[in-house]
Amino acid sequence: MTTTRSVGILATRSVRTIRRLPSAFFPALAMPIFNMVVFAGTFFAITQIPNFPTDRSINWYMPLGIMMGAAFGGVGLGFTTIRDIETGFYDRLRMSPTSRLSLILGPLTGTLIRVLLMTTLVIVIGIVLGARFTGGLLGVLCLYISALGIATTGAGWGLGLAFKFKDMRGAAIMQLSIFLVMFLSSAQVPLEVMSGWLHTVARINPATNILRLARVGLVNESSADYLSWNAIWGGLVAVVVMSVLCLGFALRNLQKLSD
Amino acid sequence: MRHKPADTARQFAALSRRSTLAIFRQPAIIAPSLIFPLFFAALGSSSFSRAISLPGFPQVDSYLQFTLAGTVTQGVLFGSVTGAAALATDIEEGFFDRLLAAPTSRTSILFGRLAGSSVFGGLQALIFLLALLPFGVTVQAGVLGYVSIVLAGFLTAFGVGALMSVVALKTGSAEAVQGTFPILFILLFLSSAFFPRETMSGAYRRIADFNPISYMVEGQRSLSIDGASLTAMTQTLVIPTGIAVLTTMLALRQLSVRLAAR
Repeated sequence: MTTTRSVGILATRSVRTIRRLPSAFFPALAMPIFNMVVFAGTFFAITQIPNFPTDRSINWYMPLGIMMGAAFGGVGLGFTTIRDIETGFYDRLRMSPTSRLSLILGPLTGTLIRVLLMTTLVIVIGIVLGARFTGGLLGVLCLYISALGIATTGAGWGLGLAFKFKDMRGAAIMQLSIFLVMFLSSAQVPLEVMSGWLHTVARINPATNILRLARVGLVNESSADYLSWNAIWGGLVAVVVMSVLCLGFALRNLQKLSD
Repeated sequence: MRHKPADTARQFAALSRRSTLAIFRQPAIIAPSLIFPLFFAALGSSSFSRAISLPGFPQVDSYLQFTLAGTVTQGVLFGSVTGAAALATDIEEGFFDRLLAAPTSRTSILFGRLAGSSVFGGLQALIFLLALLPFGVTVQAGVLGYVSIVLAGFLTAFGVGALMSVVALKTGSAEAVQGTFPILFILLFLSSAFFPRETMSGAYRRIADFNPISYMVEGQRSLSIDGASLTAMTQTLVIPTGIAVLTTMLALRQLSVRLAAR
């Protein structure tokens, strides 16, 4: 069986679970919407801080909701894989005449389709709640690229840990690490507004660059980040490097699993 | 079966001791409810240090001072699920039935379980107060304020634990109890635990205005920032007491339903 065909079959299997088990997909949709609403509502006044890059809190926190949803959607693939390993289904997959690469790319494609659905829904609800894309279609595109990028990173990390630990110990590490990476960044406020230790950590955290990319089309036109090439290329590099590293980590551990 | 008050007290003490020890013997379960609120407090102090000058914020030296009450409430709310989950585990594993078969007072079974999480709630409040002390976060109301906040932690844990016990007694499933955790999370966020209500707007503000957690947190915040006052003391202690009374009635009712169904 060719790699492309295997990828298609495994991706279809992943997407079919949305229809067969909607209750499992529901939290993946509800969580980003909830995060967007509560952060934008609680920190409504944050945009009044001088030099805050937008005057709408929903513009700042909609990308955060999407990024959190995409990242956890990505590591969710790790949970599914752990379950498949524990039930023995993964052994059957590994014994089938498919390439090792397709065992990663297939479920990853399914996950990215789910993240696309989630991102679209959150954007629609965000717009209903008052979010405005100041950067037009390019801004929307940047938000989608960031979401897919962070989902790929999360999926690679989740798969790598699932292959390494083969049980639910890996799940706890997946959740905690993604949680820390997301929050120790410019998730809540921009770098210029934060102070102290968090500023130091967030400045070197690649998630900050990915969030910057996600927000380039949502900040005010007067902001330095507004559709700026500086913010876009920094985010793209972070997305590519993180995705390659995490998918490499997954492939390496899959090969070890086979050994 | 009628129980002498002395017997009931003895049984309650024994079951309370068991539930308290059980909590402290499982550090992996209680650690997140101690670590995460402190993590969020540290995160907030760096993220929102400039927000304290916004209109609507009380006069505080730091965001950490503002968020002390929110940190205490967050930790206590999250930790209070532990006792109810343990009660559900007792039902799942049959220990609850063995207690019923023994000449044990029925209410002691429930209150014994709640005592463990309540003690833990009070201790959590004390830990948060002490952990933030080196960062200049003090309670202006002095000893009275410290005691009131610790007591509020105890009462809140009791009240929320009783509410969660309703789920435990109804379903007999620890998973179902853990599944209610997001409701607490939502209630906490839809309050003034992290930012003042005065800075919120629209429907979100109105929800926070209706949420009793807002007033409970604001009472503790007032003790911490402004000092002792009758309003602050009332909000700090009377609201969790009211919640505890109401949820205890619900839990006792659910206990009767469960016993009647046997």
